[in-house]
Amino acid sequence: MKNKIIVPLIAAGAVFITSCGTNAHYVETGGNRNIVSVGEINIQDYIQAANTMTGELLASGALDRVKSPPAILAISRIVNNTGKQIDTDLLIKKIRVALLQSGKAVTTTTFGLGGQAEDPLAKGMQQTTRPADFSLSGKIIQLNAKAGDTTQATYSFQLSLTDTQGLATWEGEKEITKIGTRGTVGF
Amino acid sequence: MKIKIALMFAAALAVAGCHNSMNSVQNAQQVGQRTMISDSRVVSDTGLTRKVGVVGINTAMTPGGFLKVQVELLNQTRSLQTFNYRFEWFDANGMQINAPAGGAVAAEIDGGESKFINAVAPTPASKDFRLKLILGQ
Repeated sequence: MKNKIIVPLIAAGAVFITSCGTNAHYVETGGNRNIVSVGEINIQDYIQAANTMTGELLASGALDRVKSPPAILAISRIVNNTGKQIDTDLLIKKIRVALLQSGKAVTTTTFGLGGQAEDPLAKGMQQTTRPADFSLSGKIIQLNAKAGDTTQATYSFQLSLTDTQGLATWEGEKEITKIGTRGTVGF
Repeated sequence: MKIKIALMFAAALAVAGCHNSMNSVQNAQQVGQRTMISDSRVVSDTGLTRKVGVVGINTAMTPGGFLKVQVELLNQTRSLQTFNYRFEWFDANGMQINAPAGGAVAAEIDGGESKFINAVAPTPASKDFRLKLILGQ
């Protein structure tokens, strides 16, 4: 009699654990509960790098030195020198959005590296052309160090803002270092 | 005698190897004058408040008209503390301004160390701010 009650209860418990025991849940992007991995750039790293460099660029006043504000920005090459394939727009788009929101710069989508337009349709629609005031180029570098089971990775985010005279009027660098034992992730 | 020497050696090693506190010096006659803010707009969790305190907050305007905030923190303990911080920005009406690149920043502060953290407002319309400090894991 006792077994007749206990066995279904155990079965029901097992079903509950397997069906509802999934650990998947939403977290805030860039928040404290995001996964931290040493071997790759996490979303919070892109956010932090974009945040720091946008703040530095706006504080420098470099974008204010144009004849007719807001400044026109063209996006140049962003070199990926890390061990992983990354989409550099994870960094650059955040900076573009922040600069647009600030009212200090707008980005051209009809003029890009090698004459390639980011938005070909917009290039066809374009009636007037205002040359870009600045070009934004950069590099992302990964530097690894190891001691025993502990691995350290430093990601260096570098950006240069070049004016029409070919001079880098602003340059920014943000380094993010992460440390951990092999095969581990943190929060 | 041998035990005594060994104990002293171990103690010296412990002091030299595990001491994380920091000493710092600065010029007595400060040239720059900081515009200190009287009210506190810092939200911190209780675990961190006991360890890392806010010494002062000062603000300035950038040439482009952006509000710049600098917060001085002091680690009141003798050990390294890790924490995350995040600035939130508000316009003249108290409405929060959504910053696209406004995530939490991980930072650390040595024992006894005084450290500055700073941020620039995302738009010239940002008139106020709030700083959130969370104890690291």
